[in-house]
Amino acid sequence: MSEMTADVLIIGAGASGAALAWSLAETRMNIVCLEQGDWVQSTDLPGIATDWEVRQAADFNFSPNTRGRREDYPVNDSESPIAVSMFNAVGGSTILYAAHFPRFRPSDFKVRTLDGVADDWPLDYARLEPYYALNARMMGVSGLAGDPAYPPKEVPLPPVPLGKLGMTLARGFDRLGWHWWPSDSAIATREYEGRAPCINAGTCLVGCPQGAKASTDVTYWPVAVRSGVTLKTRCRVREITVGENGLASGVIYYDADGVERRQKAEVVVLACNGIGTPRLLLNSRSKQFPDGLANRSGLLGKRLMFHPYAMVTGLFPESLEGYKGPTGCCIMSQEFYDTDTSRNFTRGYSFEMLRGFGPVYSALWGMQAGRLSWGADHHRDFADVFDRTAGMVVICEDLPDEGNSVTLDPALADADGIPAPKITYRLSENSTKMMAHAVARGKEVLEAAGATATVVESPLRLAGWHLMGTARMGTDPRTSVVNSWGRCHDVRNLFIIDGSIFVTAAAVNPTNTIQALALYIGDTMKKNLATLFDD
Amino acid sequence: MSDDAGALPVDHQLLETLLDVVIPPSPDGRLPGAGTLGLTDTIARTVRQMPMLRPVLEYGFGTLAELAMRRNAGGWGVLTPAERAEVFAEFTATDQFFLPAFLFLAYSSYYQAPRVVEALGLEARAPHPKGYPMDEDDLTLLDAVRRRGKMYRGC
Repeated sequence: MSEMTADVLIIGAGASGAALAWSLAETRMNIVCLEQGDWVQSTDLPGIATDWEVRQAADFNFSPNTRGRREDYPVNDSESPIAVSMFNAVGGSTILYAAHFPRFRPSDFKVRTLDGVADDWPLDYARLEPYYALNARMMGVSGLAGDPAYPPKEVPLPPVPLGKLGMTLARGFDRLGWHWWPSDSAIATREYEGRAPCINAGTCLVGCPQGAKASTDVTYWPVAVRSGVTLKTRCRVREITVGENGLASGVIYYDADGVERRQKAEVVVLACNGIGTPRLLLNSRSKQFPDGLANRSGLLGKRLMFHPYAMVTGLFPESLEGYKGPTGCCIMSQEFYDTDTSRNFTRGYSFEMLRGFGPVYSALWGMQAGRLSWGADHHRDFADVFDRTAGMVVICEDLPDEGNSVTLDPALADADGIPAPKITYRLSENSTKMMAHAVARGKEVLEAAGATATVVESPLRLAGWHLMGTARMGTDPRTSVVNSWGRCHDVRNLFIIDGSIFVTAAAVNPTNTIQALALYIGDTMKKNLATLFDD
Repeated sequence: MSDDAGALPVDHQLLETLLDVVIPPSPDGRLPGAGTLGLTDTIARTVRQMPMLRPVLEYGFGTLAELAMRRNAGGWGVLTPAERAEVFAEFTATDQFFLPAFLFLAYSSYYQAPRVVEALGLEARAPHPKGYPMDEDDLTLLDAVRRRGKMYRGC
């Protein structure tokens, strides 16, 4: 069945798709968004019941392979030490993210110039800065101005509370003379734009029933929909179609009943994340594009970057009240962020402090860490881990490598029979050395804070949250997939706005930068509507 | 017994006594043994959410019953707590799947039981909608960081 032609068709209603839809809504164009997931109701979120920690291992697991919901698609990550984490719904992975919301630093856009590795971005921090600021207002970012690790920036809301745990860790950094700062967090610490304030429930990673955490289903989408954007849920796109003129003509998708439908469009925008976007383009082969749509460079799906994570957890002799407060947002440190030629690796990493666990996860963590026995000594061991842990994740900058890739799995498919992605990824020597350095420094700071023992998990397997680089931007069509404002070199009415277009990964969470880029691309599209497809 | 509990692939007496093996009462009596809390329904609900656990449980419980029979023709039910712990240790020393699966179920059900949560000093409730109050922080500790001045590379 044919539908009315959309002026702009956005595929994916997560972090970037929401921001772009909101940005373009003021044009009054006919904007349609197709999302394979559904709206998540606050009453469906685990945090309203006592079994919430168990559901994090089950139907709210980070891994689409474990969740196995119909709206998820499987990912073959058997050839990667890092497993992919994502969520498919209105809001995408922002439903489950920690909402740690740092910006990239100016140097992150100039790594070739400054450090002689990878490539510079075709835009810089100054270009994105107004969009970071706009995104901070739209998402409702909390934090503390004055961080010397960043150029001056506005932070609309006061920081999340550090609590006893955060202050304990801060004293460790202080004793070593290392940088630390309250995290920028996409969490409303006060009532904000109709959203209720954070109540420190600690359930961020399984969704926020309070609506304080800025998932895009409670930030951009309500405004965009009120402004006339059509958001169709449970619609999974199979392929992007191309006309005789070589331009994208629309998509073929399956609706909620599994019925095949078509949606024509003047402009198609991909916002499916660094795995979903190359998957869809590789599934959109045609006579004109036999190697996948927009893949004349041969780079589509290549240069996949995660952030290699390690987790370092300290055991402390006193109660830390770590079950209180936003799970992943507390303090961060960028002491080792920049390249230091005295080290044996290039670029650097951040530390992000985590809260402790509730009783269930304390037991499961203790079991996994080999610190909790069953039988006669169980209660003694549990007393040593419950409310006595404080930890951090190390988030390392991953440099692009063409050997790390997303391809189509020859056998695996989703519930609609669409070929699923396969990840091929290895940790580079640079990342391995960086992680070793970071883990050693992590143990050092935890001990300085008073930890009596530390537990290390490196690399953290289920930590493939940040999916980047698989359709990189650049000025040269031979060495990039999209230009500096997200338009595909090969298909001039096809745009990509998610983490796929990142040139490098920096060493911080990417969502803020993904959204700033989407807003920048939206603004550029609006300013150039009459000449959008010109050279 | 609920429908969920009926769907568990295990004799309930075996399940409850095995729960007591892995989490016995605390020596001071403050925390109960896991087998006395009526956790069967909670475990059944978790197994329904994570169906991949079912075959591991079927195999594990079946093997434990067989090992118990070898020790005493009366089976698991007539063994003493110490003998049950020995049978469990014997089995899990050579099997790599059942122990983590069963401990996951035992721990996750035990540590959400209201009696246990309260004994740990917490309120037995969901995190929402009440949340947790937190005090204001003293951020004067940041003064040292502020004094360092700019620490990013301008471009």
